[in-house]
Amino acid sequence: MRRAAPVVLSVALNSFSESVRNRFFTLFAVFAFTAVYASVLAGVMAVDQEARLLADFGLALIELTALAYALFGASSSLLREAETKTIYLVFSRPVPRWAYLAGKFCGSMLTAALMLAVMALLHLSLLYFRGFGVPEAYGWALFGTFLKLSVIVSFAFFVSLFSTSAVSTLVISAIMWTLGHFASEARFLAEQSAGLKGFLLGALLWLVPNLQLFNVRDAGAALAIGPSALFSAAAWTLSSYLGALWLLSRKEF
Amino acid sequence: MTPAAVLFSGVEKTYRRPRLLGADYHTALKDLSFEIPPGEVTGLLGLNGAGKTTIMKLITGLLFPTAGKVRVFGHSPSEGAAKARVGFLPELPYFPPQVKPAEALAYYGRLSGLSGASLSAAVDSAMARTGLEPHAGKRVLEFSKGMLQRLGLAQALLHGPDLLVLDEPVSGLDPLAIHDIRSLLAGLNAEGKAVFLSSHSISEVEKLCSRVLIMVRGRLSRSVTRAEWEAARGGLEKIFVEAVK
Repeated sequence: MRRAAPVVLSVALNSFSESVRNRFFTLFAVFAFTAVYASVLAGVMAVDQEARLLADFGLALIELTALAYALFGASSSLLREAETKTIYLVFSRPVPRWAYLAGKFCGSMLTAALMLAVMALLHLSLLYFRGFGVPEAYGWALFGTFLKLSVIVSFAFFVSLFSTSAVSTLVISAIMWTLGHFASEARFLAEQSAGLKGFLLGALLWLVPNLQLFNVRDAGAALAIGPSALFSAAAWTLSSYLGALWLLSRKEF
Repeated sequence: MTPAAVLFSGVEKTYRRPRLLGADYHTALKDLSFEIPPGEVTGLLGLNGAGKTTIMKLITGLLFPTAGKVRVFGHSPSEGAAKARVGFLPELPYFPPQVKPAEALAYYGRLSGLSGASLSAAVDSAMARTGLEPHAGKRVLEFSKGMLQRLGLAQALLHGPDLLVLDEPVSGLDPLAIHDIRSLLAGLNAEGKAVFLSSHSISEVEKLCSRVLIMVRGRLSRSVTRAEWEAARGGLEKIFVEAVK
C-alpha cells in the first residue's frame, strides 16, 4: 500500500496535466467564460431579483460546464490509453490496477476542482462588478457540485470499462446525472404505485444516486452539506470505483 | 537453479469476441511450450497473425493464458516481482505529443518505483544510451519515427530490467537508427540481459539472435539455433520459408 501511493500520485498528476494540456480544455474554458458572463444578462432582466438570479444561474452554468468536461475526460480517458497503447507501458510495469484506477479518478477530480475554482473566481468577479457580495452558502454550493462530479465521474469510469465507445459512456452517464436529479420525484411515484410496479420502481431507486442531496441552495434557506450527503457521495463513488476495479482487473489489453 | 527468464508450458490463448447472440472465438496460440534462459537473445519470427504479439503480451501480463502456464523468472507475469524485471517495447509506442522526452521517462520511471536521485540518474542514463540526449529540448511532437522508437526503448530500459521484450524494435527505421539500436541491444546482452524480440526482418534477427523461434498459425513450428542456420544452405531465410509454407 505504501509503495502504491507514489503510483497513485504520479498517475493523478499525469492525468491532470494531460487534461489541462488538452486543446478541449481551452475550448471549455472559453465556453465557461461566455456561459458565466451570460448570467449577467439574465440577471439584468430579473430586475429586483438580480442578485439571486445572477448567483443561481451562474452556479448552474458552472456545474453544467464542469460536468461536461469531467464526463468528457472520464469517458474517454481509459479508452484513449487503450487505443494508443499507452496502457501497455503502464501495466507492463509493477503498477497495481487499483492504484492506476484511483490515480485516474483523482486526476479527473483535480481537473474538475480546477475548473470549478477558475469559474467560481470569474463568477464572483462578475457579482462584485455588479455590486453584489458573495452569495449565501456559495462555498457549500460549489462543494455540493464537486461531490456530484465525484459520483458521476466514478460512474463514468465504471461504464467506460464495458461500453463500446466514449459517446455511449457519455450518454449513459448523462442519463444517470439527469435521473439523479429526479430521485425525490421517483421516490414519490414509487410510494404511490402499488404491487409489482411499486416494488420495481422502489428497487430501481437503489440504482440511482439522489443528486438533489447536494443542491444546497435548493432548500428554502441555504444549508451546509450534511453528513448524510457526504456519506451518500462516498458510498456511490466507492461503489462505482469497486465496480470499475472488478472490470479492470479482468480486462485484457 | 536459476529460473528461466521466460517459461511457456502448454500455453493456449483463445480470444473471445462478444456478439449480439453468443460470441466468436479465435485461438491465437495452441499448446505452446518453450523456454528462454537468462542472458540469451531470442528472436521470434512468423507471418502476420502467427501469434507473436500475443506471446509478448502474455509475458508482460497484458493478456492472461486460457490454458497452460507462463512464468517470468519463476513468477506469474501479473506479479510485481516479474514485472519489475521486464522492460517492454510495444510496436509503435505512443507518448503525449506535448511532453519532452525526460518528462515522459520520469513518469514511467515513477511507475516503476524510482524516485529522487535514482530516478534522475535512470532518466539520464536511458537518454544517453538511446542517443536521445541531443534531442532533450524537443517535444515528442517534433520526433521522427526513429526517435520515438528510441524513446520507447529508453522507457523499457529505465528500471534496469533483466529481460527486454521488444515487439518489432526496428520496424520502419532508417539504416543508421537500425545500426544504433542493434549496437545498443548487443551491449545490453553483453551485460547479461536477456532479449526477446519479434521481427519481420530475418536479416536483423539473424544478426542479433543466438536462437530463433518460428511461429506458424499459433504453434511453435521450429526452434533454430545460430549454429543450425549458419550450417544450413540458404541460412535462416530458407529455414523460415520452409517452416511457414
